Amino acid sequence: MTKKKPLFDPKSLKFLTAVSSVEYSKPTLKMGALIASVFDASHGVVYVGERASEFHGSSVNLTRTNLDNWNIIHPGLEVLEWALQELKKLSPENNELAKIQFNPDHVYEEDGRVRVMLPEEKGCRIELVLREGELVDQLRKEIQLENYDLAIIGGSQNKRHLAHSLIQYLPSSIFILQKFNPRKKYKLLLLVDDSIATNKSVEWGALIAEKLGWPVRTLTVSKTKRFGAGYQGAADKAKAYFDSRGIEVEQFFLTGDPVRTFVDFAGDNHFVIMGASTLNPVKQLLFGSKPIKTLEQSDVPILIVR
Amino acid sequence: MHISADMLFWVQQKRWLLVALVVGAILYFFVPHPQSLGPDGYHILIIILMTLILILKEPIPLPAIALQLIFWQVMIGGSTANEVGGYFMNDAVFFIMGSLMLAVAIVSQGLDKRLALGIIHLTGNKSWRIVAGFTAISAILSSFVGPHMVTAMMLPVALTLIRYTSDKGRSNTGLIAALLFSIAYGATIGSIGTPSGGGRNVIMMNYWAEFGSGSLSYIEWMKMVYPMVLIEIPITTFIILKTFPPEWQNLDTAVRRLSVEVAHAGKMSAKEIFSLFLFAGVLYGWIVLSEDYGLGSIALIGIFLFMAFGLVSWKDLSRGVNWGVILLFGATISIGVQMKNTGGAAWLAEGSVNLLQNLIPNIDALRAVVSVALSGVLSNLLSSSATVAVVGPVVLNLGGDPILLGLASVISSAFGYFTAVAAPACTIIYSSGLVKAPDFLRAGWKMAIMSVISLALVALVWWPLLR
Repeated sequence: MTKKKPLFDPKSLKFLTAVSSVEYSKPTLKMGALIASVFDASHGVVYVGERASEFHGSSVNLTRTNLDNWNIIHPGLEVLEWALQELKKLSPENNELAKIQFNPDHVYEEDGRVRVMLPEEKGCRIELVLREGELVDQLRKEIQLENYDLAIIGGSQNKRHLAHSLIQYLPSSIFILQKFNPRKKYKLLLLVDDSIATNKSVEWGALIAEKLGWPVRTLTVSKTKRFGAGYQGAADKAKAYFDSRGIEVEQFFLTGDPVRTFVDFAGDNHFVIMGASTLNPVKQLLFGSKPIKTLEQSDVPILIVR
Repeated sequence: MHISADMLFWVQQKRWLLVALVVGAILYFFVPHPQSLGPDGYHILIIILMTLILILKEPIPLPAIALQLIFWQVMIGGSTANEVGGYFMNDAVFFIMGSLMLAVAIVSQGLDKRLALGIIHLTGNKSWRIVAGFTAISAILSSFVGPHMVTAMMLPVALTLIRYTSDKGRSNTGLIAALLFSIAYGATIGSIGTPSGGGRNVIMMNYWAEFGSGSLSYIEWMKMVYPMVLIEIPITTFIILKTFPPEWQNLDTAVRRLSVEVAHAGKMSAKEIFSLFLFAGVLYGWIVLSEDYGLGSIALIGIFLFMAFGLVSWKDLSRGVNWGVILLFGATISIGVQMKNTGGAAWLAEGSVNLLQNLIPNIDALRAVVSVALSGVLSNLLSSSATVAVVGPVVLNLGGDPILLGLASVISSAFGYFTAVAAPACTIIYSSGLVKAPDFLRAGWKMAIMSVISLALVALVWWPLLR
């Protein structure tokens, strides 16, 4: 594994952070900015607002046009303006970013979204986008349009309802910041099994551990008392990969129901990384999958690598 | 694998389209039509049921819903394409099209700044007077020009006041809700006052004419309904102030700053004066000439003049009008007429009366309850105009005085206070992001009770004096 070419080029990564409001999105935006900066990724921030019933679309559009004449900005743009200010505060060393001013007049509608024009010629790798409609549908469209590698989403109150849709339908890796506390010291918990997605999640884990300096643990769970060659081999390969990059790793092998064991082990002080399920989507819809169930049952930040 | 996920996502997004199709197919293929209703009437009711599901959940764009209404009528509804097309365009559709265009033409003149100045002069600085002024002005204007235009012009005034009241605008939840709801509910209660107050009023007038149920002139409509608007204005103000007490008693700083801002607009330009003159002409035409020429034709004359004098461009009009809605109204009215022609409307009306006659033995009261309940409930789920387009033919087949029942249906379809979807004014304030769905419930139930009592009062005391 150590001699293989990396599965992705960290230099060309694109991350997308979904913000919902000034009140609740600060930790999400902070983590999004941190992750994007340590990966040197370009960073999109999207606000998904509610869409008015199409029946009264004319009336709403007419009102918004008139609000523009009164210099009252499109609802949602104030959240993006706040996001830009926060990103500036989070990267005080970024002089180019500091120079950028938010101008609500510099927005234009394209591809069913409103994009705030920021001066790309100054090396700005930030994108501010406003969308209206159903959350998963709009995030999916944004990810497909801009080829984002990772979507960073805040923990939601109705996560059980959203978990299925987010994991099944977003075509990128997903980082869900459940009960994320930026001041807390997390340990990285990598769930390792013999699935294909484990290789990629090991790479993500190694990069995050390197950049953030968090301690790393790997957890392999078997339903029976015996660990087959596949599981053992995957755990060994993961350890070898971390060793090759000089990252210390603690290995754990536990038996029991995988999801229950992940959740109990993760407690509230781990940052979980796991691979996306390779199950058929219809089976996932009907019976769920390990990532879906883990997300539903746990209260820690989870990165699901696709 | 990716394709499967895409397919699954499509199914999830379009599930209500699939539900509508499956329900329609089961009813069409496996459930025989009732003895008392012919196959065409039954099929029309199936199409209406499918359409209601689609309008309610919006799994496909509105124009697509309109198109399926047309082709189903031809394919299974027993109508020819020419018959459907014949009912598609009429004065009600012309009026809806014309009033949406007029809204774009008027709002683009920037007359709202003058309006703001006028309101402030009238109300002064006190919060309760401003809320009362917003409610009254919105109701009166909306009764003539429709709630969408009034809300589009009033909302910036309210938001500017809110912006100038405090730097932390969002913490003024009481003031914000009071100002926004005074516009939305004011415009909604006003929209029943005259025929030109809303598309649904003209749709009902169209049904009266189409079904030979009689007619009401513009002035006759006003005589019957305007007293209710006048009763509701002060009570609505009271309900709003009690439900959302503003945090400030006085908005003197905000009013002063707003006055300064609108004063920058200077004196009225010749273009603005001419626009007002043209609009007054349209209003005059609606009041005096609509019996002969129809409300829609007069609205179109107004639009023609606005364009001819270069006051608004076609580009602005076509961009500002949702043509899909116009298509949908045309299609909904055409199926409403087919519902009447095939006996579907009479069957539904008879069924409703039979179902409830044990509960309400008095037939007149029963008809009134069915008319008000059907329109009131449905308008909180659909738009009020769509409600009247669908419910109108049923109500007019209940028996009794079709004019009174039609009026009761139209008025109660404006009782969509509980949700943001029923009335355009409610949708507009909701889309500002400053009021939440539960706010509509907090004030809505009080508004609904007040409106039902007002309607009963007008229907039992005032209407008998006039007819």
